Amino acid sequence: MSISGSHLAVQRHVEYIQSLDTQQDDLEYWLTEHLRLNGLYWGLTALHILGHPEALSREETIDFVFSCQRENGGFGAAPGHDAHVLYTVSAVQILVEIDALEELDRRTNEGRGKVARYLANLQDKQTGTFAGDEWGEVDTRFLYAAINALSLLDCLSMIDQQKAVEYLQACTNFDGGYGASPGAESHSAQIFTCVAALAILGKLDLVDTERLGCWLSERQLPNGGLNGRPEKLEDVCYSWWVLSPLAVIGKLDWIDREKQLAYILSCQDTEKGGLADRPNDMVDVFHTHFAIAGLSLLSYPGLEPIDPV
Amino acid sequence: MNLTKINYEADEKWADVVPILQQEGENSLAQIAYTDEYSQATSYLRAVMASNEKSERAMELTEHIINMNPAHYTVWLYRADIIKTLSLNPVKELDKLEAISLNHPKNFQVWGYRQSIMSIIPTLPPKELSFLAKVLAKDAKNYHVWAYRQWLVEYFSLWPTSEGKGSELFFIDSLLTNDVRNNSAWNHRYFVLFGRNVESVMPLDIFTQEINYAMAKIDTAPQNASAWNYLKGILRKQKKGAKEVEHFALQYVSLEDESKIRSSHALDLLAEIWAGEASDKACQALDLLSNKYDPVRANYWQYRKSLIKAAQAA
Ligand SMILES: [Zn+2]
Repeated sequence: MSISGSHLAVQRHVEYIQSLDTQQDDLEYWLTEHLRLNGLYWGLTALHILGHPEALSREETIDFVFSCQRENGGFGAAPGHDAHVLYTVSAVQILVEIDALEELDRRTNEGRGKVARYLANLQDKQTGTFAGDEWGEVDTRFLYAAINALSLLDCLSMIDQQKAVEYLQACTNFDGGYGASPGAESHSAQIFTCVAALAILGKLDLVDTERLGCWLSERQLPNGGLNGRPEKLEDVCYSWWVLSPLAVIGKLDWIDREKQLAYILSCQDTEKGGLADRPNDMVDVFHTHFAIAGLSLLSYPGLEPIDPV
Repeated sequence: MNLTKINYEADEKWADVVPILQQEGENSLAQIAYTDEYSQATSYLRAVMASNEKSERAMELTEHIINMNPAHYTVWLYRADIIKTLSLNPVKELDKLEAISLNHPKNFQVWGYRQSIMSIIPTLPPKELSFLAKVLAKDAKNYHVWAYRQWLVEYFSLWPTSEGKGSELFFIDSLLTNDVRNNSAWNHRYFVLFGRNVESVMPLDIFTQEINYAMAKIDTAPQNASAWNYLKGILRKQKKGAKEVEHFALQYVSLEDESKIRSSHALDLLAEIWAGEASDKACQALDLLSNKYDPVRANYWQYRKSLIKAAQAA
């Protein structure tokens, strides 16, 4: 099989990620513009894991990140877009990844404090959860994003951590998983966000690791792939959403490693580079990142280790 | 909804408004993807929002923009503002939303907006549940729709009666009759029965009722993980162990005759029941799982076995 192969086509994937920034004439590039700052984070992290952090220009990366910052301290998807917690965490993560957090203090007058205040203000004082932006949609994804960014900025003390923990606990379900809000169905991506947030807040003792690990390992299908909920199709992005919380609770060996590795590798395009959600589908930077991050969690040879949180 | 091209500059009704064009630099990257019609309409929206105009024509303008781009969230918020300020009929607005909700069911704005309109209506509109049934008929696992439905249950207190009956349970049963593997429906069942913030009055035999319900559904598809997870969840909530379903689970398992094993989930539950008093049988069941019935999770089953061995040794 020329499409998949049994080895990771490292060089092809590096070239694929580098090429993303030069395809500005493609219609597809414009249509996915609302995801750009996230896209940069995914591409950059994948490059770091692949051992090629130099493949994107550091200076240009920093310039782009700051061109996305808004008046209120938050970051938008691209220059001129409204701030949102998901892009703000990407911005902070990128700056940390390339060791440029001090640029925040150098380039803006209120520095990291302003970013942290933007994030802290998104917390609902009553319930402890976080809205995605000033318009109010709530989701444990936003809670995780805010807590992660605040932790990287060393500003966790600005929020009510106890309330956040109580909210996360209220999201625990009867099947051992977690949902987007109290009562909402267990979902692998929401489990990742809840477990990672609890890990950052130092409250992993609240997780019923046995039942959660059981539910997560049940996500592996006979073809080796992982799904997000029972009876749903497998998708390579769940290689991150499922494997990361398993790694955090120390149960990574409860899935079949060899089968999962083979599945991830079967999703790569070895000619043009990049990985897709499923074998033979179109590649994109989102799935490329989550697939490579999953391989790193499984200690695929030659990759840099990634922090599961 | 209106599909003809609307030109505000040529419309007398809008002659008094000076459109506010997108500022240089702002969204400049994105402009290429937008049509002239969209750019013009959003320029008028900026002007309307700047003067805080709440009017009939502003309603039409928001509708026009929503139809072109339902992901534009400011326009939804502004529309909700107009409805509240002008005290427009919210039930009529819900009717109007039906088509766009069915066409864009995965768009969060559609459901967030519905919730904000619904929260100015004092009693549940008669058509609401049949409308949701229609949306869920297209995609029974849509996460936004279920989140909205849970909000609706809380807001209008659609909880089951003290006899453990009610419209929600009836609806869930129809979904599960259609697809017994619908995990979202199982989750909603647990939510309406046990998800109330206030400790509710539940009949003592609610556990018996739900255990029986789960068992009946399992019998139609013994290898359905969702129903077994629900059964385990109920047993856990009841806090009386799982011994009472041992005979039930044994219908799908025979340790003597492997050809009679019809459910790995039954083996799993039996291994749990046997772990204390019949640990040899429990280990046998766990070996069957790791070697034959669920080898993908062999390490997990062996971990369970190691716990039993450790307890034996202690
Ligand atoms: Zn995916």
